[in-house]
Amino acid sequence: MQLSIGEWLPAFFNPQKRIFWGYMLSSIFIAFLWLRLVKKTNLISCVKQIFDPQVWISRSAMADYKVMMINTVLMVILSPRLLAKATVAYLVFDSMHLLFDGRPFLSTILPQWMIALSFTMFLFLLDDFARYWLHRWLHKVPILWSFHKVHHSATVLNPFTVFRTHPIEGVLFSIRSALVQGFTTAVFFFFFGDKVTLLMVLGASVFTFTFNFLGSNLRHSPVSIQYWRNLERIVMSPAQHQIHHSNAKEHIDKNFGVALSVWDWMFGTLSLSKADEKLRFGLSEEQSYKLHTLEGLYITPLKQATEIFLRFVSRIPHFQFFKNT
Amino acid sequence: MKILLTRPGLSFSFIIAISLIFGCVFAKPKMYSSFPVTEKSYNGSKKDSTSYTGQMARHVLHNSLKKLAGKGNGKPNSALKAKMLSYYSGKDAGREIIDPTSKGDFKIKQTMVDQISKGKNLKGKTYKGIINGFPGQMTGPEVFEFMIDKASSSNKGFDPLTGYNYPQLISKFMMGAVFYSQAVDNYLDEKMGADNKPNNKPYKKGAHYTGKEHSWDEAFGYFGAPAHAMALSAKQAYGIAKKKDMKVADANGDGMIDLYTEMTYAHAYYAADSDKAGTKYMHTIVGAFIKGRQLITEANGAALTDQQRAQLMGYVKTIKSNWAQVIAEAAFKYAGSCYKDLEKLRTIVESNGDASKAFAAYGKHWGELKGFLMALETSGRDLGEAGVRMNRLVGFGPVLLGGGQVTGIDSNGNLQTGGNRSMGEYQVHMIKLQKLLGDTFSLKARKNDVTSNMAGLLETLGSSLAAEND
Repeated sequence: MQLSIGEWLPAFFNPQKRIFWGYMLSSIFIAFLWLRLVKKTNLISCVKQIFDPQVWISRSAMADYKVMMINTVLMVILSPRLLAKATVAYLVFDSMHLLFDGRPFLSTILPQWMIALSFTMFLFLLDDFARYWLHRWLHKVPILWSFHKVHHSATVLNPFTVFRTHPIEGVLFSIRSALVQGFTTAVFFFFFGDKVTLLMVLGASVFTFTFNFLGSNLRHSPVSIQYWRNLERIVMSPAQHQIHHSNAKEHIDKNFGVALSVWDWMFGTLSLSKADEKLRFGLSEEQSYKLHTLEGLYITPLKQATEIFLRFVSRIPHFQFFKNT
Repeated sequence: MKILLTRPGLSFSFIIAISLIFGCVFAKPKMYSSFPVTEKSYNGSKKDSTSYTGQMARHVLHNSLKKLAGKGNGKPNSALKAKMLSYYSGKDAGREIIDPTSKGDFKIKQTMVDQISKGKNLKGKTYKGIINGFPGQMTGPEVFEFMIDKASSSNKGFDPLTGYNYPQLISKFMMGAVFYSQAVDNYLDEKMGADNKPNNKPYKKGAHYTGKEHSWDEAFGYFGAPAHAMALSAKQAYGIAKKKDMKVADANGDGMIDLYTEMTYAHAYYAADSDKAGTKYMHTIVGAFIKGRQLITEANGAALTDQQRAQLMGYVKTIKSNWAQVIAEAAFKYAGSCYKDLEKLRTIVESNGDASKAFAAYGKHWGELKGFLMALETSGRDLGEAGVRMNRLVGFGPVLLGGGQVTGIDSNGNLQTGGNRSMGEYQVHMIKLQKLLGDTFSLKARKNDVTSNMAGLLETLGSSLAAEND
């Protein structure tokens, strides 16, 4: 396998990815407008804040870049062994025939644009909903938290922190994505056949495009953009996600949502942003962690997860011998 | 121009370049004909060693038998049965060609089978092994005789109680059990052995062609392509079988279609059908046949060397794999048709409409599907688990409106139906069958692919490969 820059560079040119150059530029532009027009910051200070070396070349940021490159290679190796969305889709599509004893075509009920809009919107909502729950479990289930800690060990947030992820978590994300995409596609294709299409802008779903174009990269940045209070109950603002990364006690396990915060509102994990709130990012002090080292980012989570697993198993009566060994 | 005249080297290159261009543009595509006589023991006057008339007579017998299978009036008809058997197992003279016959300006030269080749039948060349895909554990010839009997007493070849369409079952299975099987499991198999029908001996005493020449010709004949197939597009070759496009069909320009060399039959027709969707099966197969025949001809009546035989076996491999793909592509297409038919039937049944026409269409498509799948069993190549799965997915009959399906044959020779399989479940079987055929035979045309658009839709969603957090 060739380990080259070419493996991960395409993300910069792929509008389906958050670090697509167009989204990076739009995020910088939005950050600039926010700082100039809302925060009334002077021009030099704006530039300094956006291009703060602390944000881009700190130890934390350097760790982000390393993880991004290593994971890209790992995922290429792992991908053929992961659950494929096509497998899910075929399984669901076949099962639908049994469930409905045949295939009732509904394609004549709705006009094509409405089918496309329904599909695109349903996919976006189910995907966001699934992300909320997986994210919540990553925090609440101890064995999963040992892996998700890697993401939260970032002490400085920049757009590349999105890639600071343990590969085991990457595998979970991939399974989630396969389930959501496979299920949605099969269900819509079953009912509407060839009339199902994805509404796209630049080859990405119109909702993904909108979310990313409107500054999704600022979620992982020091630029704390807030929305109106009522809007923050529906859509997650960058400031709200930064609260999610805060290690203050009152912010723990808040704002699990991605594009939408409505899930947090519905399930009681919402925290609205406050103006000029000073946040400290990273893990709380009592959680020992070798910050920013490859050992801390890759090995420690595996060790911790193993310990949790063995502790769990030793509680099962038949496995008491674990305690004696 | 001046520069060309003053520099002879340049003008020479110019002439070569022009000749090459003209050569490419106007070169006549190779035909499967006019291969010279190389057999040393032959003293006669024949100049062309190409000969596959027996095969073309069998194509005509098959076409005619298919027509006869649709002539029943719903009552036992011993005269019809006898006539069908004369085309299947008889060798008698005086059998007229029932299909193909002239239509409008599409004038056909021969009207009697004997005008192509005398004393030929289909039974003698039928695959003798057990056919697992058909109930009753019968051999190939027994299956045909059983179907001929049932067809003769059916109403226009269709039995609504079982969903069997006999003209389709007989025809599609026959293309496999006679033509395909003979070509790939006999002529291109043991007869390609070094000591079997060698090239330094006549095929039979007094013949003007060698053992290898004629074995190769016979295999080509069974494919069913016109001799000028390389000059035809897929659409044209397909159209000839439909008696269209007299101009391209009539290669020798005598105003008549010679059923020996100018007609498209059987699998060549299905290869052309696939090729209309972008594959190149017909030209690949016919091209390999022509190259192989040239190689044998160039041996000039001497035994083939190991190297020549190895090269020839390369062509054989191409022919066999592409031919199997042609059959599998057709089965794939009809699995998709059956899936759509089941959809239609559901709609009609739900609205209490008359389903008889749609049911007959379903039976027709199922007969084609089943016939092609049974054909795949006759190549001498064991399909292993894939073969078993194909048979299980399709079963012995189409799932009927009440959920029944043919389960076997009783001691009186009657087809039995039973079971209760839902039509939805059978649709799933068709999807699984398409996937199985596509994977087993690496299919490309994939006509009537039920899930192709779903696969395309999944692609537009992009990759979920990267480990990206929220």
